[in-house]
Amino acid sequence: MSLDSDLWWAVARSEEVTSQKPLSLDIGDQPVVLWRDNQGIARALEDRCPHRRAPLSLGCIRDNGQIQCGYHGWSYDGETGRLKEIPNMKDQQKFPPIYKANAFAVSEQPGFVRVCLNPKAQAPLNADPKYTYVGTVNVSCSHQEYLNALYDDPGLILSIRGVRFSPYLMSELHEENGMLVMERNCQWHPLHWPSHFVAEFPLTLLTRTHPLTGETQLTLRDDQFHDLLYAVLSPVPSARGVTAVRWRAELGVRHPGVRGAVLRGINPLSVHASVDGSKLRATKPTVSLHGEDLRKVMLETTPATHDQTVAA
Amino acid sequence: MLETADRPVSHDDSSAASSGHSPVALNAINRWVPHNLVMRDSWFPVAHDYSVTGKPVRRAIYSHPIFLWRDNGVVVASEFHPNERIARDKSEFTNTQGRYPVMEHYGVVWIWFGNPLAADPRHLPSLPFLPPKGGLPRHMTATVRFESAAPISLENLIDLTHADFLHADVVGDERSDSETVETFYDSETVTMVRTCVNKSVAPVMKFFSGIKQPTQNVRQVIRIYLRSHCAIAYGRFSPGDDVPLFHPCTPETRDRTRMEMVMNTSNAGLMFRHVMPKAGYKVSRQDSYMTSPQSPRYMRHTDRKDLHSKFDQAGQRYRMAMMELADRQANGDFAYRDNVSADCSDIIGLRKELFRF
Repeated sequence: MSLDSDLWWAVARSEEVTSQKPLSLDIGDQPVVLWRDNQGIARALEDRCPHRRAPLSLGCIRDNGQIQCGYHGWSYDGETGRLKEIPNMKDQQKFPPIYKANAFAVSEQPGFVRVCLNPKAQAPLNADPKYTYVGTVNVSCSHQEYLNALYDDPGLILSIRGVRFSPYLMSELHEENGMLVMERNCQWHPLHWPSHFVAEFPLTLLTRTHPLTGETQLTLRDDQFHDLLYAVLSPVPSARGVTAVRWRAELGVRHPGVRGAVLRGINPLSVHASVDGSKLRATKPTVSLHGEDLRKVMLETTPATHDQTVAA
Repeated sequence: MLETADRPVSHDDSSAASSGHSPVALNAINRWVPHNLVMRDSWFPVAHDYSVTGKPVRRAIYSHPIFLWRDNGVVVASEFHPNERIARDKSEFTNTQGRYPVMEHYGVVWIWFGNPLAADPRHLPSLPFLPPKGGLPRHMTATVRFESAAPISLENLIDLTHADFLHADVVGDERSDSETVETFYDSETVTMVRTCVNKSVAPVMKFFSGIKQPTQNVRQVIRIYLRSHCAIAYGRFSPGDDVPLFHPCTPETRDRTRMEMVMNTSNAGLMFRHVMPKAGYKVSRQDSYMTSPQSPRYMRHTDRKDLHSKFDQAGQRYRMAMMELADRQANGDFAYRDNVSADCSDIIGLRKELFRF
């Protein structure tokens, strides 16, 4: 996967980015440091001081909003990445333009901070709704394998309280407005007939996935088309084959009865911090094969941009 | 007409298998990609009639949504749920109101998937062992799902030699004095007749029909209606019972199959009548055990050809017929060249005296 394109990655939840402590993360093999300046604006630089290559995330955020390297105290402006101060050279306040860290484009919508490695990229249009439930996990699984697991058996990577995912699809993976969309039949857990003998399923899980970033909107619906739960899952490829996953979820219409109450209990959605290798190995790649083919076709016909419509 | 076009493969000198004149070459069928075979302009069985009530239930054909409910007792089939906030376009398979052509027959709800103006009851498959107006007891019906492509499930069905191994505990093992397989076909159907002399008695008959003899003669017929992905599986066991099964394999998606099965055991003894339809639950899981891992291996083209035995001719014919029909449809030819609704009692050897409605 090319990370040089104009892709916007939801690398952090808004509340994770503060002006107290820099946040270290990766987009693929690119280390990124993220913080909030004194205006409250999220900033992103390469996590590497151009002086002696120390991680800027080990430094601190100054009152003026600049990030300061913890090694020799060099300070950088978050918007441009330009060097602003060297503690031992207080008399010199201007430095040549080459004295700078690479700055990345940042866009924040309610809920997520997104970073694009192209600093000139146009910010995505987005309108994330409010989410009550949030989480971050780092999964020792490649970005593509993580998405394949989501396609073939979402139970490998997440759980919805009181809900069991079936292997039967209401709609196979297909392209819809530039997104990879599918709908999976689900049952209430734990009392249910074996899914292979069930005539009607009471629930479906609709997923809409961006073909490049893998950012996915999930909607749990009942059989009367009521949205019971919706969530956004943002897997970002990180260093050493790890996938960093930020997610947000919100409850929708209340389903009547005990089952609806169970769903509305503590943490209706949980995203697993690890993938069970024995289950992953035994999971047959079916939907993910379609996904691979679809992605190829979509990438051939559309440029690699991130028109982030997940929340549309 | 079926009667003249229906002919054994072995006697067909002009068949593709022997001459290569068919648009579908033998090499192609040995490397078929059933997931890519999408049929249309056909009636698909989507629900037992009793499961459609005033509350909408959801079905799909090739991922196209179908919502079924009854309005004053009449079945309505729409591509939109009544509660849905419609944010998508209507498909080409429904009328201006987003409704599919729908009919009830044989106790099953059928959807016409294709050009709605071409919907015609004359294209409904013939199932002469089922009462046209339905009404069989519910214990003779079931819903079963397969994690495989519908053509994979149907190919599994038309190759009955697998049953001697996979379903030996239900239908008996492979031992018999002789076994022959004949295949008949036209442009819309493939029919396989397997005749076994002195075959091991099916355990399910031994225990629930009281068959005392060690062997029985068996005549099994599998007849597949290609477009509808429907099959008849009719077994005549002597000594024993006649067991006709409606075995549809509705492609809800290209890789998931739904079966609204109906087994008419009205003429069998009390025990067998009730137990045999339930065997479908066991047999289907045994089939899934193989077809589920098998199906993904047919999702993409491969240069490695499948190997065959002489008992696979029906399966090969099925592959070829499906590919030829898919080719025709890909070229815009959706016409029926053979009549699928003509009574097929004689073709499947139905003992009509047992099934009068």
